[in-house]
Amino acid sequence: MSNRWRVILPPLVPFVVVTVGVEVLVRSGVIPSYVLPAPSAVFESVFRDFRELASATWSTTKASVAGFAASGAIGVLIAVALSSSRWVERAFYPYAVFFQTVPIIAIAPLLVIWFGFDLRTVIASAFIVSVFPVIANTLTGLLSTDPALRDLFRLYGASPAATLWKLRLPSALPSILTGLRIAAGLAVIGAIVGEFISGSGIGGVIDVARTQQRLDKVFAGLLLSSLLGLGLFALVNLASRLALRHWHASEQSR
Amino acid sequence: MRMTNRLIAGALLACALLPVGCKRQDANGTGAASANAPQHVQIALNWKPEPEFGGFYAAQASGAYASRGLDVEILPGGSGTPTVQMVGAGRAEFGIASADEVILARQNHNDVVAIFAVYQTNPQGLMTHAERGFNSIADVFTHPGTLAIQRGLPYADFLEKKYGFDKVTVVPNTAGIPAFLRDPNMTLQCFVTSEPLVAQKAGAKVKTFLVADAGYNPYTAVLVTRGDYLRSHGDVAKSLVSAVRDGWAAYLKDPAPANAVMTRLNPTVDAPTAAAMADAQKQLIETADTQKAGLGAMAADRWRTLIQQLQDLKVVTSPPKAEECFANP
Repeated sequence: MSNRWRVILPPLVPFVVVTVGVEVLVRSGVIPSYVLPAPSAVFESVFRDFRELASATWSTTKASVAGFAASGAIGVLIAVALSSSRWVERAFYPYAVFFQTVPIIAIAPLLVIWFGFDLRTVIASAFIVSVFPVIANTLTGLLSTDPALRDLFRLYGASPAATLWKLRLPSALPSILTGLRIAAGLAVIGAIVGEFISGSGIGGVIDVARTQQRLDKVFAGLLLSSLLGLGLFALVNLASRLALRHWHASEQSR
Repeated sequence: MRMTNRLIAGALLACALLPVGCKRQDANGTGAASANAPQHVQIALNWKPEPEFGGFYAAQASGAYASRGLDVEILPGGSGTPTVQMVGAGRAEFGIASADEVILARQNHNDVVAIFAVYQTNPQGLMTHAERGFNSIADVFTHPGTLAIQRGLPYADFLEKKYGFDKVTVVPNTAGIPAFLRDPNMTLQCFVTSEPLVAQKAGAKVKTFLVADAGYNPYTAVLVTRGDYLRSHGDVAKSLVSAVRDGWAAYLKDPAPANAVMTRLNPTVDAPTAAAMADAQKQLIETADTQKAGLGAMAADRWRTLIQQLQDLKVVTSPPKAEECFANP
C-alpha cells in the first residue's frame, strides 16, 4: 500500500498546490474570473454540464483512438518502407517531415471540404498531427539494429522478410513505443483541432463555450481532454511494459 | 469573411490575457495629468481593417483624434479576438464588440460599458443562393439544406428558438464562402455588408436576409470601455466618442481616404469591394434615430429588449440593468 502511495502522491502535490493557488488568486480578485476561471467553477461545470461533456468526450475518444491507431499502423508501415533502402529514405523522408510541419489549423477548413462535417474529418486531423513521431522513431529504431546481429542473420542466409520480422522490428520495438507515446497525446490535440472545425466532441463544446464567454466550461473541456490524453498515454505505457518487460532494460525493475 | 472559422482555442486566449495586473495600473497611472502630451489610447478591433471600422480610420486620417489631444492606436483583430475580455482585463482602453457580448460580459462581472454603436441595425444575416427563390428568412428553415453558423452566438439560439433547426443540417461556419459556393443548398451566416459582396464577386447569385428583420437586433460594432476607466477618464472617453462620431460622418460622406488606409492594412479586401461594402452599410449606420440623437447614440429601451431576449433564450440568467450597459458620453 505504501508503495502505491509513493507512485500516486508525487503527481498529486503540484496539482493540489496549483489548484488551490489559482482558486485563492481568483477568489481574492487578483485574477478576474473572466480571464481565468476558478478551479471550483470548472469542477462545477463538469458536473452541471455532465451529459453534454460526457457525450462530447466519448466522441473525442473515438476519434482520437481511431486517429492514433491509424498513425501507429500507417506510421510503422511507412517507416519500414523508408528503411528499405538509403535511396528511398532520401527520396521520401522529407515528405514525411511535411506532416510534422503542416500547420493543421491552416488546412483544417480543407479537411471539411474533403471529408465533410463528420468523424472522418476529426480522425484525419488526429492522424496528421500524430503520425510523424511514429515514423521518425520507428525509422531510428529500424536503422539502429545491432550490426553484429545483422551480420549473423546474413551469415545464416535469412531472408529480408525474416530479418525484418525476427530481428529489426523487435529491436526497434522500444523506439516504436516511444513514438506511440508521443503520438497518443498528439492524437487528442489533433482530434480537438478537427472538432473545432467540424463542431463535434470536446472541441465543439470548447468553441461554443468560448463564444458564450463561458470560460469555466472551456476549462472543463480542457480538463477532460487532458484526462483523455493521460488515459491514452497510460494505455501505451501498459502495452510497452507488457511487450518489453521480459527483455528490455527500460522496463525492467528499477 | 467577417465570420469565418474561429480556431484559436480557449487555452491560448486565456494565456494571452494572463499578465493583467501591471497594465491596469499603467492605464490609471498616466491619466489626465499629462495635459500637453497627447493621450495614448488603444482600440482593439474584433476583425481585420474593413469598412465596418471605416469611421475609426477616417477619424485617424482626418486628424479628428489629434485635434482632441488623442493619440489613438487601432489594433486589428482576427476571428475570435476576445475584445471584451481584453478591455475588461486592461489590455486595451477601448474595444469593439456587439451589444449581446456586453451583456454576457457584465453577467460575468466583467465591467465593460458600450459608448458608441456603429450599426444601429444589426448587419448579421443569412446568405442563400438566389436560385432557391426564398422570400423570407423563414424559408431557410422550412426547406432541407445546410446552415453554416457559429453555434453559441445568441442569434443562432434566437433563430433556433423561433424557427427550429429540424429541417436544416447545422454545421459550424468553418469552410466559409468556398463551401457556400460549392453547395447550392447551403445557407451561410454573414454580415450582409461583407460576405454577399465577396460571393457575388466569385460569380454566385445570392439573396440575403437580415436577422434584425426576424426580430433580433442588437447594436453591433459597438465601442466599449471599462466602467472604472470611464469614471476616471470620462473626458478621454468623451473626446474619443466625439472624434469617432466626426470620423463616421466623414466616412459616410467619402469613404475613399479611410478605405485607402484599410485596403493597405488588409489587402484581402480590394478597393472596389471596400467601396461597395461602405455603400451597403450606410443604411444600417444612419437611421431615423441617429438623425435625432446623433451617430452612434443608443437608447435604453433597445438594451432592455435585448436583455429580455437573452433571458428568454436562457443565455443570460442574472441580467444586468439596461442603464448600466451603455453610456452616451
